[in-house]
Amino acid sequence: MFRSLPFKNLRGKPLRTAVLVTLTALLALTFLAGTLTVSSLRSGLASLENRLGAEIIVVPYEATTKKSFENIVLQGSTGYFYMDKQLADKVCSAEGIGQCSSQFYLASTSAGCCSIPVQIIGFDPDTDFTVQPWIRRSFDEPLGDGDIVVGNDLNAFVGDSLQFYGVECRVAAKLDKTGTSFDTTVFANMDTVKRMTRASLDKGLNSFKNIDPEKVVSCILINTSDERSADEVLNDINIHNKKVKAVRTKEMISGVSDSLGGVSRIVGILIAAVWLLGGVILLLAFTMSVNERKKEFAVLRVIGASRGKLARTVMAESLAVGVLGSLIGIGLGLLIMLPFAGAIEELLAMPYLLPDAGKIAVLAAGAAGASILTGVLAAAVSAYRISRMDTGVILRGDN
Amino acid sequence: MKKLTTVFGIILTALSALITAGVKTVFCACDHKSESGMWMSCHWAEQALFAIGITLCCASLMTVIIRSGKVRAGLALGMIPAAVSAMLIPNVLINLCMKTDMRCHTVMRPAVMLICGAIAVCAGITAFSGLKSKEKA
Repeated sequence: MFRSLPFKNLRGKPLRTAVLVTLTALLALTFLAGTLTVSSLRSGLASLENRLGAEIIVVPYEATTKKSFENIVLQGSTGYFYMDKQLADKVCSAEGIGQCSSQFYLASTSAGCCSIPVQIIGFDPDTDFTVQPWIRRSFDEPLGDGDIVVGNDLNAFVGDSLQFYGVECRVAAKLDKTGTSFDTTVFANMDTVKRMTRASLDKGLNSFKNIDPEKVVSCILINTSDERSADEVLNDINIHNKKVKAVRTKEMISGVSDSLGGVSRIVGILIAAVWLLGGVILLLAFTMSVNERKKEFAVLRVIGASRGKLARTVMAESLAVGVLGSLIGIGLGLLIMLPFAGAIEELLAMPYLLPDAGKIAVLAAGAAGASILTGVLAAAVSAYRISRMDTGVILRGDN
Repeated sequence: MKKLTTVFGIILTALSALITAGVKTVFCACDHKSESGMWMSCHWAEQALFAIGITLCCASLMTVIIRSGKVRAGLALGMIPAAVSAMLIPNVLINLCMKTDMRCHTVMRPAVMLICGAIAVCAGITAFSGLKSKEKA
């Protein structure tokens, strides 16, 4: 096969072949990188939506003035705020509340090797309805005192011991990846987190100097009962409790969703621009290549090659270039997109979760197919022209 | 074959220079210090990679300068375990930071894996072509 005419033609003009292969590789790389980025962002958002599970979040009013408030509540970014536990009890006893559970936030200042803070979330195992269903996928036992469950992006494994403010904790489980800051969050029961908070206060490392961990909580998560709608309950809480603010989780996530839409549109435009440019360049390259080889094709006609044979030769050349180029492009794309997924996530600052291997394979096959098709379509125009040429005119040199 | 050995020697030198300069610049480790003012462990992984990078630079430069195919092959063969060791340094031989969304995990480690993987492959090809050219001589 590699000794056939199309391959000999490709080997005979290495520079032209290299340019065509590079262009096709660029098309495949752009398509794969773009679709993989958009797909990962969508997976990240879906993962974030799955993780929510509460209709309403109630936080201290001051917390809503914090710039990173939504990221702390939605994605587990580091930060903490507190409100009176009595307020939480009052909110939970309001009419129309179906499920109600409070959480306690604490950011570590040092965990094991690093000075980088880790968000610690304490939940009440008796009332919790958001964290435990998620934890159960990895760990189906009640969390004991001193037990912690770590996010997927923490470099700690089941059985490891970690210290937070001097409190020794045992890693009981490691969670599945979510593509959000929850991947670097530590979960524990309320008693363990309160012990850490007390230790942080004793060491003077907590900016809330005068809080009593037994008398405060950070936020309240609510699901409404069938009797009242979420909006009615939300308005009721906001009207009757001045020191807190109730927020619909759907509204909070819409900001992330809008950003994702923007990024998807930009990526889409970039892919389209590169494809348009690449397609035009490939079309020009094949046209120029066939034009300069007119006499070569005319000689082939004279020695007995049919018009179809000439067209097939051009098409076979473009197919070979397409296959080689897309394999290189896909290989490069995977080498960039998979190992550097973490860096891309940091750069985009949005929930980013790589799809599973099957979907990545489908995207790679799609990118390869699309770039091969573009090359073949660009060459088809030249193949049609070459099959229509007048051999006599070409050989006389009139054209 | 000699020409191929020289070409791959130059590629090896470029990759080795990239790993040496890269771990101190574009894909350096996290620049934080712990509360006690001590460097985090990823800093020491960076230092170790820098030292191995210099060794790789010297060895790869010699594969270009020295004309003997057998010596070139020997140098290239020696670079393979060095490159593999460099791949094992981040997070296997020396622990990186606790959060895997930090720079040492997201940038330094994948970059080192890719470049050192490429060095190991190129060194294998250089060694093979070096041995072949010696046979012909």
